Amino acid sequence: MQPKVDKDRLLDVGYDPGIASCGRFLVLDHSILEASHGIKGLEVLPLADAMDNYPHVRDNLVFRLIEKDKNEFTKTASNLPPVGYYIKVEPGVKIDMPFQAGFLLESAGATQVIHNIIELGENSEAHIINGCTTSQETHKGRHIGITETYLGRDAALGYTMIHNWARDVDVYPIGAILVGENARYISNYAAMTSVKKTVSYPVARVMAGGSARFYSIIYSRRDSYFDTGAKVMLEGDASSGEIISRVVSDGGAAISRQMISGSSPGSLGHMECSGLLLGNKGVIHSIPELKGGHQDIDLSHEASVGRISKEDLSYLMTRGLTDDEARSLIIRGFLDIKIKGIPYTIQQIIDEVVDRSVSGSM
Amino acid sequence: MALLEIKGLRASSGGREILKGIDFTLEEGRTAVIFGPNGSGKSTFLGSIVGLPKYDITKGNILFKGKDITGMSTYERTQLGIGLAFQYPPSIKGVRLRTLLDTMNPDKEAIDHTSEILDMSPYLDRDVNVGFSGGERKKSEILQLMVQMPDLLLLDEPESGVDIENISLIADALKIILEKDKPIKKRRRSAIIITHTGFILDYIRADKAYVMMDGRILGCGSPSEIFEEIRARGYKECQKCLEEAKKENHAA
Ligand SMILES: Nc1ncnc2c1ncn2[C@@H]1O[C@H](COP(=O)(O)OP(=O)(O)O)[C@@H](O)[C@H]1O
Ligand SMILES: [Mg+2]
Repeated sequence: MQPKVDKDRLLDVGYDPGIASCGRFLVLDHSILEASHGIKGLEVLPLADAMDNYPHVRDNLVFRLIEKDKNEFTKTASNLPPVGYYIKVEPGVKIDMPFQAGFLLESAGATQVIHNIIELGENSEAHIINGCTTSQETHKGRHIGITETYLGRDAALGYTMIHNWARDVDVYPIGAILVGENARYISNYAAMTSVKKTVSYPVARVMAGGSARFYSIIYSRRDSYFDTGAKVMLEGDASSGEIISRVVSDGGAAISRQMISGSSPGSLGHMECSGLLLGNKGVIHSIPELKGGHQDIDLSHEASVGRISKEDLSYLMTRGLTDDEARSLIIRGFLDIKIKGIPYTIQQIIDEVVDRSVSGSM
Repeated sequence: MALLEIKGLRASSGGREILKGIDFTLEEGRTAVIFGPNGSGKSTFLGSIVGLPKYDITKGNILFKGKDITGMSTYERTQLGIGLAFQYPPSIKGVRLRTLLDTMNPDKEAIDHTSEILDMSPYLDRDVNVGFSGGERKKSEILQLMVQMPDLLLLDEPESGVDIENISLIADALKIILEKDKPIKKRRRSAIIITHTGFILDYIRADKAYVMMDGRILGCGSPSEIFEEIRARGYKECQKCLEEAKKENHAA
């Protein structure tokens, strides 16, 4: 029987066959429906096949950055045959066309367990966009997603994740990234729809001269609970990290954890967490942490939690905007993070996701 | 019928009474100017006309185009044709000036054309007022009004902090909005200009001038006479008028 794929919901998270891409990977519940690639130097395989074919993957990459018994979710994953992608970019190969991955939860009440491995060779470049969603009719379920990412020297990866789960789904993305010397890692995360619970705290270890940057946009609606953030460990000299998050609570809860630690000379770290409370119900809890272990290191953070300024609102309303128009303009503006180093198509997808949910919620 | 008619207006902010009984009329097509020392209530006056929520109108009425707008929201007042250029406009992070203008008026050509008049094209892709200099903020205010095209322009110190060249750009834009090229009878738009320095009057003719002190409007006259008077003697003479006005109030 041909499985039913909710194409519209996938479109909403950027899994768009209309966009030129270098390859695609699609999972429905536990079945891999597509694994394709069309560029020399890019290889995409179901992880299970990669582990069978390449001892290197099995021995050096799987459950190497994340321990099998880190928590109940990793234990669950380690006891199952892996479902997910292995993406390999050969040294020197630079691909600016995005790679699209879609993870669709179709069966109500099911637990989807994913394990992905990304390996970028020296001086290579790739941009991966992951769209995660349920089918229209599916409101309940669980998604566990383990991703281990390895960037060789001078490699660059843009990793974008868009979540569009449903009100009774709980979600546990578990990510770890090894950023090689002078390599650059950029993560973008947008979660704008209802979810029961999302817990995510990717950890990047950055070698000399490398950088890891995490940008996230969270919109927590009524009865949603987000506990998200990122940790950057500056392990090499002159490495740098940045964590920027914008969190809106429209009745939901959002905990934002950010941590940068470093003990190597010349390292730089900066983080920013801005929270915007729209109603009286929600709560935003910002937990920034910095840990510096060397005199020649520069770590800083800015955090704020506030409401829409009445002054801004009445300013816009004197221009003939309605209360709703003025609010959505301000919220849209608040969520606008200018990310450097990602292709225009991916920025457009993120912008559309944000536009759609901000105007849809007014 | 006057375009704007204000009777016995009292307004307070933060629990403090600021406007203490103001009567004021403005005809269609006319420009009035209001002088007054710092803190006399000029911004409160304009803010009360457009209905900024931080001002509470405690007494009196505001009629605009014959309608009582005293209890209306800011939005409703703008729909009737009132617009305000703020003395201290806020900066709004993440909202590009172009996005705001597009939301106000879908006519993209008008926006581009207006931006050129004010030499503001390079600012369209910046966030509203973020990092703008004093003069740039004032030009951004006038640009927004020009895209909005209200029938009544409330201009709160449009020239303060602006250099001479840019004052003349602002004045040119205002002349276009106020149809200063047409004979008085044909002009439809009206303005209340608040000015501290009076510089703007070298570029734009006002029809009437008022002095505001301590939340009251004292006398009115020709803009040049009143301005000369203030230039020569400051607000001292006005202070005397104010004392007299207060006495009269008590007697009445
Ligand atoms: N929200 C407020 N709370 C208390 N006092 C205020 C508030 N807003 C304005 N005022 C006071 O009211 C007076 C008039 O203010 P304003 O209308 O801004 O004067 P002007 O524009 O003539 O300089 C000033 O003394 C000012 O400090
Ligand atoms: Mg003022």
